[in-house]
Amino acid sequence: MPTTLRIALLAGLLALLSNLAVIGFIYLRTHDEALSAMRQQVVEQDKVLTDVWRTGGQPALVDAIGDTIAYADPQAVVALFDSRGREQIGNVTRLSQPLSEGSRAVFVRVKNQPTPKRATVITHRLKTGQWLISGRMTGEGLAIRQTLESSLIVALALALLLGLACGAILAHYVGVRIGNIAAVANRISRHDISRRVPLSGTGDAFDRLGQQINAMLDRIGGLMEELRMLTDSLAHDLRSPVSRLRSAAHAAAETADPQEQEELLGSVIRQADGLMRILSAVLEISRSEALTGRKQFSWFDLGELTAELCEMYEPVAEEAGAAMAYDHPARPIPLYGHRQLLAQALSNLIENAVRYGSSGGEIRLDVRTNGKETRVEVADRGPGIPAEQRAQALRRFGRLDSSRSKEGAGLGLALAEAIAHLHDGELRLEDNEPGLRTALELPLRPAERETARAA
Amino acid sequence: MGRKILLVEDDAETAAYLAKGLTQEGHSVEQATNGQDGLFRATDGSFDLIILDRMLPALDGLSVLKALRAARIETPVLILSALASVGDRIEGLEHGSDDYLVKPFSFAELLARVNALLRRREARIDPADHRLTVGDLEIDPLSRTVKRSGKKLDLKPREYLLLEYFARNEGRVVTRTMLLEQVWDYHFDPGTNVIDVHVSRLRRKLDDGFEKPLLHTVRGAGYMLAA
Repeated sequence: MPTTLRIALLAGLLALLSNLAVIGFIYLRTHDEALSAMRQQVVEQDKVLTDVWRTGGQPALVDAIGDTIAYADPQAVVALFDSRGREQIGNVTRLSQPLSEGSRAVFVRVKNQPTPKRATVITHRLKTGQWLISGRMTGEGLAIRQTLESSLIVALALALLLGLACGAILAHYVGVRIGNIAAVANRISRHDISRRVPLSGTGDAFDRLGQQINAMLDRIGGLMEELRMLTDSLAHDLRSPVSRLRSAAHAAAETADPQEQEELLGSVIRQADGLMRILSAVLEISRSEALTGRKQFSWFDLGELTAELCEMYEPVAEEAGAAMAYDHPARPIPLYGHRQLLAQALSNLIENAVRYGSSGGEIRLDVRTNGKETRVEVADRGPGIPAEQRAQALRRFGRLDSSRSKEGAGLGLALAEAIAHLHDGELRLEDNEPGLRTALELPLRPAERETARAA
Repeated sequence: MGRKILLVEDDAETAAYLAKGLTQEGHSVEQATNGQDGLFRATDGSFDLIILDRMLPALDGLSVLKALRAARIETPVLILSALASVGDRIEGLEHGSDDYLVKPFSFAELLARVNALLRRREARIDPADHRLTVGDLEIDPLSRTVKRSGKKLDLKPREYLLLEYFARNEGRVVTRTMLLEQVWDYHFDPGTNVIDVHVSRLRRKLDDGFEKPLLHTVRGAGYMLAA
């Protein structure tokens, strides 16, 4: 059975059930003993009169009618009409409806009463062609209840119809909205990722689903684009070292001079090492992004790690003409993370600062925590990166043109960012006015927050 | 002095190249080409060193290592692996290997590490006087003081650690990666010449003003401390 039909039936059924509940409730509250007792009396009175007529004929019936009016309770209505509908005997002069066989609720004109009265009557056509009318006047309350009851039956039928209509409309609506989403999914499975789910703009559940799907598609599209660019640039960036390696190897094979051969082979090894370095970095980035390193997380003091790296790079920075500055925080800054990878990320940032920012004279490291996140900064006073080029600098192989001439595959910042993501954090590139400030922002886990509070 | 080395490597070309080199260094090399065979041979405990490839047919390197350590066979193990990420290296070391070398590597790098591991084994068997001496250089690991020709050298803590590591591997080649791993405990490639700069600083304090240099550069391999 198609889902849409099932939804239609389900909606119809639910509408019907809820209407039935309301109808049942009204029925239970209005239906009481008075009404059924009255009906009972009407039926009994009719039975008595017809029995009298059958056994005693018209004279007995006329007597019985007289008795009923005289002795029965004052609510009784009873009459004998001739075949043309004119009153012969009894206390009823007219009915609001034409005479016909059966029981019904009508208005009757009763003798000595100024206004028509509501009554429940049973009408019989006798063999003589006359009409026997027998029943009781129903008081105002009873009459309302009676109307209600018959309305409830109509309501029931209406509920059934409306329920089905509701179901059909709902199924159509859901079908259309889901159809839109399905159409997009269908296009995507045919490799067209550019389609998006149309939104109605009402912000309803379907719109939210559509928004989620669109956001997911944007992310997938971004990743695919990134992957494509990565493959392109990997191929591009590997081309030149591989061709250099090839020509050095070729020259080494050709030359007869042993010293030249040794130099060329040394160059072959250096080129191969460079290639390995690029591949390792690419591997490390994809590992970090796949979050495989999380099982190697442990507790360590980030302040201490930063101090170690500061000390490690201090001589290199000095040779490049810059001084490293770091105020070791008085308290430990505990962090739960991948110590080796964070050391690598931080060393990439420091290396970047040494390589491009040493002209500014100072490279400042800083670690601080605010109870929500821990931030490690590497700030230089070099030329910096203009705001519009920062996103480009974070891309794999995203070396800025201005730095193309310098060494490095342009993977350092991309790897640092991947490692930040491994820790649910971010890598920020900011203006140090002047210079570049790179920062790893690492959110604290609940346990770390507690430690930070306790400290 | 030749030592017994078990080489567990499934790649025939690499295995032949390593076996040839190590034999030329005077070691006797036994070979296994899969993990099961390797484990079987290693369990007799007669080897001085096991060189274990991480990806092996029949039983992978880490499983062999785990089985060995579970059987209380404490032969030093050097793992070779094409798995180069920092996480992979740490995992290898956590499984009880004594060293971890990423493919491709130079033979000089492998040899330096093999010698360091064999030497460590030696030191375990024959604990020497706690003082380390190399020529006229004298290191006291307890007080962390260094004297050369009786004159005290003023070293920074990291410079001291570097020198102590050199001294413990006296007369043997120490590579840059070994220094990074052993002295700094970092398992990534720092890219720039960080290690060289530290070594040259140490060298200035150690050798400047002395006629005979102690800290030597070994071309294509690394450094060596020798009298």
